Amino acid sequence: MPPEPTIEAAGLVKHYHAGDGGVVRAVNGVSFTVQAGEMVGLLGANGAGKTTTLRMLATLLKPTAGTARVAGCDVRIDPVGVRQRLGYVSATTGVPDRLSPREIFASFGRLHGIPPAAVPGRVAALLDRLDLGRCADRPAGRLSSGQRQRVSLGRALVHDPPALVLDEPTNALDVVGARDLLVLLGDLRAAGHAILLSTHRLHEIETRCDRFVIVHDGSVVAAGTRDSLVAEWIPGGAGELEDAFFAAIGRQAVVSGGGA
Amino acid sequence: MNLPAHPSARTAALAIARRDLLEFVRDRRTLVITLLLPMATYPILALSTALGLRTASQEIEARNAPARVRLGLSGPDSDRLAALMERVSEGTPRSDRTGWPADVALADVRGADATALLDEGGIDLWIDARKGLVEDLKAKGTVRLPVRVSAKLPASQAVREQFQAFVAAVGRDVARDRVEAAGLPATLLEPVRVAFEGDQGAAAPPEHNVLSTLAGGVLVLLTVLTLTGAFYPAIDAIAGEKERGTIETLLIAPCRIDDIVFGKFLGVLAITLATLVANVTSIAATAAVSLKYLPRGIVASLPDGTIAASIAATVLAFAGMAALAAATCLAVTTASKSGKEAQNTLTPVILLVSAVAGTALLPGKPGGPLLAAVPYAGQIAVARTALGTGTTPPATSAAIVGVLAVSLASSAILTWILLRLTAHTLTDEDVLFRGPDVAGSPLHRPAPRSRPNGVQAFVPLVAGFAGLWYAQGLVPSDLSLAIPIQQGVAVLVPLALMLWWQRVDLRGTFSWRPPARGGRSAWVLLGAALVGAGLFLLGAAALLAVRSTGISAEARQLSARLVALIQGQPWWLAWTLVAAVPAVCEELLFRGWVLSGLRGRRNSTRRVWAAVGVQAAAFAVFHLLPERMPQTFVLGLVLGGLVVVTHSLLPAIACHLAHNSMPLVVLWLAGDVPDLAAAVEAGTPGGSAGLPGWVVAAAAGAVVAGLAAIAAGIGRITDEPAA
Repeated sequence: MPPEPTIEAAGLVKHYHAGDGGVVRAVNGVSFTVQAGEMVGLLGANGAGKTTTLRMLATLLKPTAGTARVAGCDVRIDPVGVRQRLGYVSATTGVPDRLSPREIFASFGRLHGIPPAAVPGRVAALLDRLDLGRCADRPAGRLSSGQRQRVSLGRALVHDPPALVLDEPTNALDVVGARDLLVLLGDLRAAGHAILLSTHRLHEIETRCDRFVIVHDGSVVAAGTRDSLVAEWIPGGAGELEDAFFAAIGRQAVVSGGGA
Repeated sequence: MNLPAHPSARTAALAIARRDLLEFVRDRRTLVITLLLPMATYPILALSTALGLRTASQEIEARNAPARVRLGLSGPDSDRLAALMERVSEGTPRSDRTGWPADVALADVRGADATALLDEGGIDLWIDARKGLVEDLKAKGTVRLPVRVSAKLPASQAVREQFQAFVAAVGRDVARDRVEAAGLPATLLEPVRVAFEGDQGAAAPPEHNVLSTLAGGVLVLLTVLTLTGAFYPAIDAIAGEKERGTIETLLIAPCRIDDIVFGKFLGVLAITLATLVANVTSIAATAAVSLKYLPRGIVASLPDGTIAASIAATVLAFAGMAALAAATCLAVTTASKSGKEAQNTLTPVILLVSAVAGTALLPGKPGGPLLAAVPYAGQIAVARTALGTGTTPPATSAAIVGVLAVSLASSAILTWILLRLTAHTLTDEDVLFRGPDVAGSPLHRPAPRSRPNGVQAFVPLVAGFAGLWYAQGLVPSDLSLAIPIQQGVAVLVPLALMLWWQRVDLRGTFSWRPPARGGRSAWVLLGAALVGAGLFLLGAAALLAVRSTGISAEARQLSARLVALIQGQPWWLAWTLVAAVPAVCEELLFRGWVLSGLRGRRNSTRRVWAAVGVQAAAFAVFHLLPERMPQTFVLGLVLGGLVVVTHSLLPAIACHLAHNSMPLVVLWLAGDVPDLAAAVEAGTPGGSAGLPGWVVAAAAGAVVAGLAAIAAGIGRITDEPAA
């Protein structure tokens, strides 16, 4: 019997009411799983439904239909339990400018119910792990983009959750910052965290994720490992993940020497 | 991965409050508004007030100070006039010399030199006494006495006023001579003399008004500054978090949304209370210093033993206001997605609250539970009850505790409601994840929609109120013209403009369909009419029973004008103006547009009935006269309920029509009552203070029968619209 997935989306649907009285179908029955110690990439173009799906996993949005579970807790039935077991970081997630990384970690530690006596030790360990020791007491507003993103990740890790959901976390980072963050995520995967990562910068995660889920127009159009996607979607079974992605969403990749 | 236990509600709220406080105190704006503004405001206010009072007081003193008047006399009768003046001057006792100059120095001058003497300042005034002047004074007429002043060096106002007082005494002396010469008693000139009796020591010093006016102004200022103390922290707490992208990190914390909002509230409240403490400290310190600079006698002190209790009651009431201010600012700014947007939203609210606070200073008794319950005005009323006003001494301890309890309960309830609203708004997905504002032209016409939204529901109401207000000066007093103009300006024009602009679905928005299938519609409409007629009589009975002696002049005038309209016009025209036009127009607006917009798309039971309540309140306020508001509120509830239950606007129109037709029916039944309009305006129609019991019973029976007819008519299709 396979172990129960740490993250499981089951037929997630999300419809919005548009301003003109119509209905926007942002997500239409998305299902996937992420096991402990696994890193899964959620791929899709802008407007495909990635962020809406991740927000439903993080209990920021209520599903119109379907459900999702995080470490056994249902987002509909026990949203507080889900939040206890989930770390969530998005590209738009900021950090309080006037607080230092140490203060941010400590306040979120208390907010997650860590006993007051254990907070300083937990904070020190996180600062060390994220290499933020030298700027631990500097206001976050004076940190670099990479440091701020690490603070954001540390905030999501303060309660040591089994599941980690990241929405385009490398968007605001340069090449070095993005690489450092992905290395860190690799370490977390090795430590047993289940990681779901959405991005449209395919080359960054092509070799780092165990599996990929490709969404388009709110539905899952393909899922599998890099090799299986390439084999399924590229005639001849050889090529890049990007080619498989474009094939899956029904558009041809723009390659050098080729046409649109 | 050993997960910690869920934080308790208290832990979560305190963690958020602590985090927010850390951020607030590192924000310079917060510190300036919280500490520096109060510390600077009151000393400046006190200094300017004290200087102003001092200058005014010195001017009064200077004017009242006895001056020395140098009077030049010339002309043939100068000697006789001088003798008369000297006699009066020497013969008048000091106690009767009120307003007199210290000394009137008489100088004999030549007429040719007098002008030069005036211009050089040798004399202040000059009288050229013509021949026969003094003799004329003995006659019966009024003698004109020209007094010249210099054009270059005019005598001061004090000199003129005091010389006039002296000449008035001369006049009285001459009058006594005249009365004596006529052989009449001297008492003829003093027909009455006032004599105050009893204990005169208890009279309040008139200067008390100055201090109470100052205290009222300071209390309003304290209200505004308390609110501004919550201004930046509240903006920072939620709108600022959205702008910085940190709000999501809180919303995914393992605690309830109520705990998050309460933590935010605690943080803002702490800063607001700090502002209040800074304000009170500054007021106390400033008062201690500035009272020394106020002129003597201008400050009336509180009775011994009441100072501590009065100040404690004031501070407690304002602590309640601090909570209310924190909750208000949070609730108003929660929907904003940036600090700038929140400031734009909150600034008008602060201005509005300042106006509400000012109502506590209106003349009249400061106390009373009704005013104490009014947010932002009630706390000032508590303070004025405790401290006393110019016309009212400080209240007893029991009275202070009573109004304080009402004020605190009102603050607590409103704070709770506002925090619930904040939590609701914060988790509203459409608000939380809405995109940037549409950067199009403000005149960009929106796409057609099925029904108005909650905000659009209020637009024609606000426009209607504005129309009513601005048109009141233009509307003729003749009701046969005023009613259609008011209905057009306040209802039809705003509604028509909104309909044209929004392009809503008319049938759905106005519930324009029969209330039941086939002939059953007639039962529903008949029942609604019975309910309307019964409600009118019950409302009139309640109004007469409760307010038979306290109906305002405005309400009596309006009733009298309506009676005159009904008696003076053909019945069909009076019925059209009083019943038909208002029933159709107001139902289209309130139970059509407003109710439809407030109900929203989701149509949950709670929201529908909340919408019915809100539109009924708006309907009551729309009728302006306070006496009519309870009745119109109940009528609005019933009319809204009819639309909800029958899914049709027609029964509401029938009900409203019957309600407004009842005055015509009553007057027709009463027959020809002479001068009824004048009697209504005077508040004595027939001398009766209430309706007969059988009328009230019949009215209640009509309401019950009407509801039964409606229930029978709609039958089993209550939950679905009729086809």
